[in-house]
Amino acid sequence: MNPDILQGLSQASLPINLLATAIGVLLGLIVGMIPGLTISSGIIIVLPLTFVLEPDLSIALLLGLYVSGMTGGSFSAILLNIPGTPSASATAIDGYPMAQRGEAGQALGISITAGFLGGMFSFLCLYLIAPLLAEVALQFHAADLFSLVFFGLTIICSFAAKSLVKGLLSAIIGLLIVTVGQDPVMGTARYTFGDVNILSGIHFLTALIGLFAIPQLVGSLTDTGVSTAGARQHFGSILPKWETLKKIRRSVSIGSSIGAFLGILPGVGGPIAAFISYDYAKKASKKPEDFGHGSIEGIAAPESANNAVTGGALIPMMTLGIPGDPVTAILIGALLVHGLAPGPLLFIERADFAYGVIFSFFWANIFNLIIALSGLRMLVKVLATPKAMLMPAIALFCVIGSYALRNSFFDVYVMLFFGLIGLAMKKLNMPVVPMLLGLVLGKQLEEHLRVALTSSKGDISIFFTSPFSLLFLSLSAISIVWAFVAEHRKKSNLSKGVAP
Amino acid sequence: MRNKNITAGIFLTALGLAYGYLTAGLPERSLPNMPGPSFFPWVLTFCLLVLSVSLVVQGLRMAEDAPKPAGKAGGSFPAVVFLGVFAIYLALLPFLGFLPASIPFFAVLMVMYGETRKLWVASFSFGVPIFLFLLFRNVFDIPLPRGSLSLVESALSVLS
Repeated sequence: MNPDILQGLSQASLPINLLATAIGVLLGLIVGMIPGLTISSGIIIVLPLTFVLEPDLSIALLLGLYVSGMTGGSFSAILLNIPGTPSASATAIDGYPMAQRGEAGQALGISITAGFLGGMFSFLCLYLIAPLLAEVALQFHAADLFSLVFFGLTIICSFAAKSLVKGLLSAIIGLLIVTVGQDPVMGTARYTFGDVNILSGIHFLTALIGLFAIPQLVGSLTDTGVSTAGARQHFGSILPKWETLKKIRRSVSIGSSIGAFLGILPGVGGPIAAFISYDYAKKASKKPEDFGHGSIEGIAAPESANNAVTGGALIPMMTLGIPGDPVTAILIGALLVHGLAPGPLLFIERADFAYGVIFSFFWANIFNLIIALSGLRMLVKVLATPKAMLMPAIALFCVIGSYALRNSFFDVYVMLFFGLIGLAMKKLNMPVVPMLLGLVLGKQLEEHLRVALTSSKGDISIFFTSPFSLLFLSLSAISIVWAFVAEHRKKSNLSKGVAP
Repeated sequence: MRNKNITAGIFLTALGLAYGYLTAGLPERSLPNMPGPSFFPWVLTFCLLVLSVSLVVQGLRMAEDAPKPAGKAGGSFPAVVFLGVFAIYLALLPFLGFLPASIPFFAVLMVMYGETRKLWVASFSFGVPIFLFLLFRNVFDIPLPRGSLSLVESALSVLS
């Protein structure tokens, strides 16, 4: 066996790394199940800790949180009919009716087991596909890399935004912010106004904390409380029976395949994968009429898809350095803080670490199953935690997280500034995710563009003569045209009074 | 949606113009056949202006917004108060330090989020910041700002 694989496996299986994974899983389940708290919020809470931890420990903690956050989201969806995370919305359709029938334990058990199976399927995809893709990506030149990053941005804009123009604008704002500070090729100071604090640029993790956490803190002020009575009901047996597992195997297969595939595409994310899987599982079911009324297949499909998305999203992150969703964008940031740049070179220069990440993902899924099944009765009590305690604590974590990054008050003020930007964008119905991706990918985009043009002596045909570059640019064009057509069709349907 | 698109479009057009103006002032350090530091910002300026103008045009072509339903009591007032409290906290943080600034901040936020039990407010607003301060200082080796605490400590050490 490849010694790097063994090294990665033994690194991820160290007791301290397993402990970090288990803590991450526990935190993720808690964060995921509390309505209003997102997985990104959970990561913001643990972010300051990752600055002082070793990279493999940091990634184990964050992966644990990422994987279990998806599962935690389904708890409140099933018990309260309030999805803890957007990805759990489809689970509520059948989970809540089951809970109302007094079958909450069975619904939760299916959700956890299906999530585990989806997660393990995506682990296999990650393990098998990531090294191969990294090998292909190693052949990319600057022009190919520019076109690849550009494709990543366009596909995110078209999927993550209801309006393509707004999505693209959001991404452009992110790119624009990245140009503040020293330019990545020549080191020229840009838009710094002579301030040394700005010279090193705006750290994207600071921006991220503000963009995600401040609007959430403000939004929670006006939210009305939710009834947590569902969390206090008797669950009965949680562990699914063999017969039940046989019944959901088709839904799990559909959900896992769709989730892992859509996870690889940047920007698609859990909610879309969950709803598409639900739809396909319904079409493939022998009892489609049960869907919407408490069907176990209706829980298994979206839950396996949610968790399969996580492994899928790690594939472009690990091999191409392109995040599949906001959480993988934060993971990239956490690795960059430690001087590790995700991308094809990671599999060459630090193959042991790359495999360590893959096996940490494996352990995260195992711990997710064990902790969720064994601690479910205790965990759901968290649903009753009042926001008057949670939200001020999150506010403090925002301050600590942005301060601890560089021990700088400037970063704390930048965090609040980005919080205001996040609030304004929310008010104007502009999506934040493309901006985040612009912040993450901006430097790479500029660097590859300028290096490519320098190597071609300013000839832009370099982007159309390389087969890889041409492929990515064609895909970018298709995704933009597709999004425009879909938007136009939706608008004309709306004007005709047809449901979209 | 119409008004929001027009507002966003106008604001972003102004941002694009300001960004273009600043880009024009960037130093030119271009070597032969090599795009300079202002190359990428010019591309962004162009894209920003084209997209923001098209957002304005999209907004103008939309039907008039339906009149807003009567808003919730308070409207955006709690958000403004929250941001004001946060800004004051951040302004005081470098001078007072993490603990003296965070304790009243936590208490005010707890009240804003609806906590009315005084004992709970008092215990959590003291307990959580102290716990975090010690956790980050002693366990994670991240020193949080000490502000006035360090002044008091140095004064005491001078006196002793």
